Amino acid sequence: MVHEAATAAPPQPIEPGPVARLFQSSLPGLALEIGQSPIDEVVTVRREDFARVMETAKNDEQLALDYLRCLSGVDWLTDLETVYHLHSFKHGHSIAIKVRCPVADAHVPSVSHLWETANWHERETQELFGIVFDGHPDPRPLLTEEGLGYYIMRKSHPLADIEEWQEDYLKTIEEAKSQMAVATGVAAPVDEKALKIQMAQQKAAVIKKARDEARAKGLSPEDEKAAVQDAIKKFEEEHAARQAAAPVTPAKPVDERAAKIQLAQQKAALITKTRNEARARGVSPEEERQIVAEALKKFSEEQEQSAAAPQAAPAQAPAAPSVPTAPMDRAAKIQLAQQKAALITKAREDARAKGLSPEAERQAVAEALKKFAEEQQAG
Amino acid sequence: MVIETRPPHESDLETIDINVNVGPQHPATHGVFRMVLTVDGELVVDLDPVIGYMHRGNEKLPENCDYRQVIGYHDRTDYLAQFNTEHCYVEAVEKLAGIKPPERAEYIRVILAEINRIASHLMFFGAFGTDIGLFGTSFMYAFRDRETIQDLFEEVTGERMMYNYFRPGGVAWDLPDNFRQRCMQVLDSVERGVEQLDGLMMENEVVLARCRGLSPVTPEDAINWGLSGPMLRATGLAHDIRRAEPYSIYDRFQFDIPTGKRGDVYDKLVVRLEEMHQSARIVRQALETMPEGPIMAEGLKRVLRVPAGEVYMRVESPRGEYGVYLVSQGSDKPWRHKVRGASFSNLSALRAMAVGNFVSDVIIILGSIDIVLCEVDR
Repeated sequence: MVHEAATAAPPQPIEPGPVARLFQSSLPGLALEIGQSPIDEVVTVRREDFARVMETAKNDEQLALDYLRCLSGVDWLTDLETVYHLHSFKHGHSIAIKVRCPVADAHVPSVSHLWETANWHERETQELFGIVFDGHPDPRPLLTEEGLGYYIMRKSHPLADIEEWQEDYLKTIEEAKSQMAVATGVAAPVDEKALKIQMAQQKAAVIKKARDEARAKGLSPEDEKAAVQDAIKKFEEEHAARQAAAPVTPAKPVDERAAKIQLAQQKAALITKTRNEARARGVSPEEERQIVAEALKKFSEEQEQSAAAPQAAPAQAPAAPSVPTAPMDRAAKIQLAQQKAALITKAREDARAKGLSPEAERQAVAEALKKFAEEQQAG
Repeated sequence: MVIETRPPHESDLETIDINVNVGPQHPATHGVFRMVLTVDGELVVDLDPVIGYMHRGNEKLPENCDYRQVIGYHDRTDYLAQFNTEHCYVEAVEKLAGIKPPERAEYIRVILAEINRIASHLMFFGAFGTDIGLFGTSFMYAFRDRETIQDLFEEVTGERMMYNYFRPGGVAWDLPDNFRQRCMQVLDSVERGVEQLDGLMMENEVVLARCRGLSPVTPEDAINWGLSGPMLRATGLAHDIRRAEPYSIYDRFQFDIPTGKRGDVYDKLVVRLEEMHQSARIVRQALETMPEGPIMAEGLKRVLRVPAGEVYMRVESPRGEYGVYLVSQGSDKPWRHKVRGASFSNLSALRAMAVGNFVSDVIIILGSIDIVLCEVDR
């Protein structure tokens, strides 16, 4: 996203259109900045003229702009702009009137006494942009009854970098798990939910098998039910026996989930890389898709090969346990997370103060995080 | 002991106004909408609409999306008139980027948008019947016909609700081979259904008794309140953006603009019913003259960069004026993306239209606005 204050002056002055000329004739000496959109004329007025301009727009016989179609706020970083799209049923003409106010003094006179429909539009704009409409009869927030306390449509309120946080969070959990497993010598805490799901799936398979068999034999519904019940009972007994035989599940040498996540991350990186390369070469979308698909195929083939010969490269998977670190307790983990959060906030604020673009900002945060992780490892 | 036998005068009874909360989870509010009624007996003396339950940042999210990724968000603003809303957005991008879509794409857009209008009005008649207590009568008949339209749309786009079919510069792919024949088939059956709906609803005792003369709106008020679409035309003002400021290829088709006389709830039904016939008329003309040819403009880049500028594009959606205010900075993402929902402005007039009526009539007045809350809250 282009994030510079785009207040670039138009290259050559635009001739005022018919509606703008009407404004000039009914309000002589009015400072108008003339613009043009593909459909409508656009004029920008100074804030001090705004109230009388709108009054004239509504009440002047020649203008008679009696219909307020739309009211929008726009954040231009240094200024906030309010845009009024007006239409005249009498004359059939339309115009957009804009007024700007600085962010520090975001006040614009309300027009809801001229057009009743401005009431809700102004309430919404006030809530989302923080532009105060002076003289509004009912300035409660509209969309969020309790009010947010911040202005979500301003550019200073970007969308949260959810991916960044999630990735960080997952990694921390997996690290902590494997560390704990190494330090205590017992298995990582058993994922009970996953076990339950597995159990339920096994059970469902047993039920389905028993039912199919009964149906194939042509049993009556009652007999079928009994057969299924028997099968479930047998399955449960077997399961209990298995549990009694092996009360402690042996420690899993490789954390499957972490491996899966790692694999997925590798894949994602591969996709991004190939795609960017393909785009840089300027190929068509179809070709690009094909290139990515081929890269993925190659990658999974390589994976299969390495899985088929696990003895060849055993050093890869259990690399983590070679450094026996002390198990991290909960308090330490929380502290670490807090430090990280503070770091992210700080890096982001620094970046914003410097006026970096969102991309550069994200990169700065990522770099700070990386540095922090390195320091942690070194210390 | 003396027993007072005089019947109580009204002045003896102490009466207070009661607040009654309707919604947000209520079948009569057509979605997640809440209104706090202040009632004096059965009479509504004040009404406070509470919206925002569906606010999803539908204006903020597109500012972080590629221009083509935004199309899907427009399906989700007005989920009953998806083609109309998509039409507005892609036209806005085209106006700003100076893209001229090929003829065939324009025809496809107009045909689908007009059939979508019929489907939306059918939905209105179904839901409105439920509001006035005619559940089986209109709901089932209207939905029977709406279903055939949904099938047709599914054949074209592969989706029942979120079509995501229009693109800046054209449409995503061409129509199926038998579209013309299927479309005529659907139109015939739907128009028969509309005739039936006409007979079932418009001279129905319940409809006449409850809707005629209810909450009349003058054209001056309608303009001041920002009403648009059938709500505005019911007051007698023949204003239709397809005629007043023709966009796409609407200037090539013959159609009438139905209007009401009194602006009451009954007139709103009349206008919508007639609009369905007019839409069918436009579709028939368009089907006859639709040319063969490309469906996508030539030479469009993979990443669409729109030159700096702004445009407020508006179309006539089934609910009224649906507008998109698009500001571009020359990048591949919109700088500002404002959606003017027709329901938003129409609903803001609810208080003025409802106060002074009975509670049961307020439900009808709300129903007659034909709101889509996703478009109100965005």
